[in-house]
Amino acid sequence: MNLSLTDDQIAILDAIDTLTRPYAGATLHEAGFALTSEALDRDLAEGGFLDIGFDPDLGAISAALVVERLARLPQTVEAAASALIRPLLGDATPRPLCLVEEDKTHRPVRFLAPGATVLLVGPDRVRSFVAGPEHVRAEPEALYAYPMGNLIAQPDDRTDHSVSADDIRTRWRVALAAEAAGLLAAALDSTATYVTDRQQFGRPLATFQALRHRLAEAQVRANGLYWLAMKAASTLDAGDAALAALHAQESARTSVYDFHQFLGAMGMTLEHPLHLWTYRLKALIGDLGGRGGQALAAADALWG
Amino acid sequence: MNFEWTQDEEAFRQRLRDFLAATLPEDWERFSQHGPASPALTDYARTFCGRLADEGLLTPHWAREIGGQGLDPWHQTILAEEMWIAGEPRGGQYMNVNWVGPTLIRYGSDAQKARYLPAITGGRALWCQGFSEPGSGSDLASLRTRATRDGDVYRVSGQKIWTSYAGLADTCFLVCRTSDDRKQGISILLVPMDTPGITVRQIPSLIGEGDIHEVFFDDVVVPVEARLGEEGQAWEIIGYSLTNERLGIPRYALARAALDRAVTLLQAQGEFAGEAVRIEAAHAAALCEAARMASYAIVDRRCRGEAIGAESSSARFATVMAERRVCEFIVEYLPQALADAHPYLKMHHQRGIVAGIAAGAAEIQLNIIASDVLKLPREPR
Repeated sequence: MNLSLTDDQIAILDAIDTLTRPYAGATLHEAGFALTSEALDRDLAEGGFLDIGFDPDLGAISAALVVERLARLPQTVEAAASALIRPLLGDATPRPLCLVEEDKTHRPVRFLAPGATVLLVGPDRVRSFVAGPEHVRAEPEALYAYPMGNLIAQPDDRTDHSVSADDIRTRWRVALAAEAAGLLAAALDSTATYVTDRQQFGRPLATFQALRHRLAEAQVRANGLYWLAMKAASTLDAGDAALAALHAQESARTSVYDFHQFLGAMGMTLEHPLHLWTYRLKALIGDLGGRGGQALAAADALWG
Repeated sequence: MNFEWTQDEEAFRQRLRDFLAATLPEDWERFSQHGPASPALTDYARTFCGRLADEGLLTPHWAREIGGQGLDPWHQTILAEEMWIAGEPRGGQYMNVNWVGPTLIRYGSDAQKARYLPAITGGRALWCQGFSEPGSGSDLASLRTRATRDGDVYRVSGQKIWTSYAGLADTCFLVCRTSDDRKQGISILLVPMDTPGITVRQIPSLIGEGDIHEVFFDDVVVPVEARLGEEGQAWEIIGYSLTNERLGIPRYALARAALDRAVTLLQAQGEFAGEAVRIEAAHAAALCEAARMASYAIVDRRCRGEAIGAESSSARFATVMAERRVCEFIVEYLPQALADAHPYLKMHHQRGIVAGIAAGAAEIQLNIIASDVLKLPREPR
């Protein structure tokens, strides 16, 4: 057991920090629900950061580290599926990669737009197609901090992938957990900063134990989630992945409302950037059957 | 990052399991319900720890020159996990190897090390922890047990309470007040429990026979040489001790083992098919594994020689969450476990209530996380 980052992983994360630094000064209060950046997406793709999972020496664990780090940014970038699932499909698969459960095509889909690859994951098969304008209806008013689209049609000609649907679902859970770990950490940071600065009754809000203990519990969850996600990325074990995704969705559920609550009226506004992380977490809570789905998958894997 | 155990680590774990299988008596699971501080288990622990010591398995993580083998904190963790999963056959001696010994090694005089370490490494010592007082639980720095300097001795008067193992311990790690300064006025004395003036009264408890006590000190004479560290250095020493203690008991491992045992029993009874029970079990497992990984992250840092601070409070609280969820699962789905149907689960449940209370209450851990991990401004006092 050795939980230190390798030299390569340290270098990759340092490079991401350097690359993303110019984007840190983005104007956040005019962002709307989702803050996207084509330039950031392009820089990350050209830098090869979203293809790290293709390198067997770096593997899914390094890809998960990238996903977790990028999720901390206020900007949303389609990284999780590209970094962790695209390596099973081939590097010719166009980005963004949109994950869709075969029997839930009526749900809004993250990053779905013309040109995106739609991956349909069924119980026993995995198929994909590249979306055209006729397949997509944008959802600009969606209450999520991702660009969302609805899948309104599918082509007859879809590509069958000779990969295991179970393997895809395992990596989906790893991707979800890694992204949620970064989102939760960033949302917690943002909330902690606000309650430290905001004074009421002559003292910082952060000095009230009613808030402190709930924020501390969120820290315990965020820390546990980070490690569960990284372990699952390392082992790619179905049980590890289901436990990590379950902890992600459960922790998102318990934390998101608290964070907004602690911001008081500021937590209702688009002027504060908190929603850029929490309203992404909300979009992840229902994936793959939500907490019940992850829990049943975990029980199957752990106990049969 | 590599989450796989090395061959050496796996072999060490297997060696421990083989030793436990060969050494523990056949009726161990029922026997272990006596509780780690009971006379029966304390007596058995002397035999067990002696055999552990003979096998080099009592303090393998200590430095070679003081009786260990210099193995890294991963081995210490594996040792602690396997012992705790087994119901802690070391009894109260687990404290010796977790924090009493390491604290003596770090802060003790040569004479103190020579006097106390051989008994610890030989598996013969039993210590008690004289910390809490009737008016000083979580607010330990308010303690009032007074040690007054009188020439070459201290005269100690006061009362400790909820003291584990005091009934049978041979030495007390006593925290007492040597001046009025709230934190800098506290010192540690290493006091033999047969010193005249000490009276011990057992407190009936939920966690087994002989576990907690009141200890009265009535003008107890303690030589100055029995002081650990400098006068007023106790707060620093306690901080070091508790950092070890907070991570010391891998309760997540027993919680997970109890959960797995409960699931096996439910499966045998045909009661693990429904979605509700499976979902609840998975939630409990997720919390166990989150606590395990939070703890492992700290073990890893210890291996690299890094100072461990408030992060151990986060791992500790994660363990409290896990322990609680497993206890709740068993109460809900296997209530007969709290009667006499399943001794192992009863043992787990009996000890589970300690998780959020002993060695610094869970709420204190949250305070520490808020102030020292999240860096929030402190509450006004």
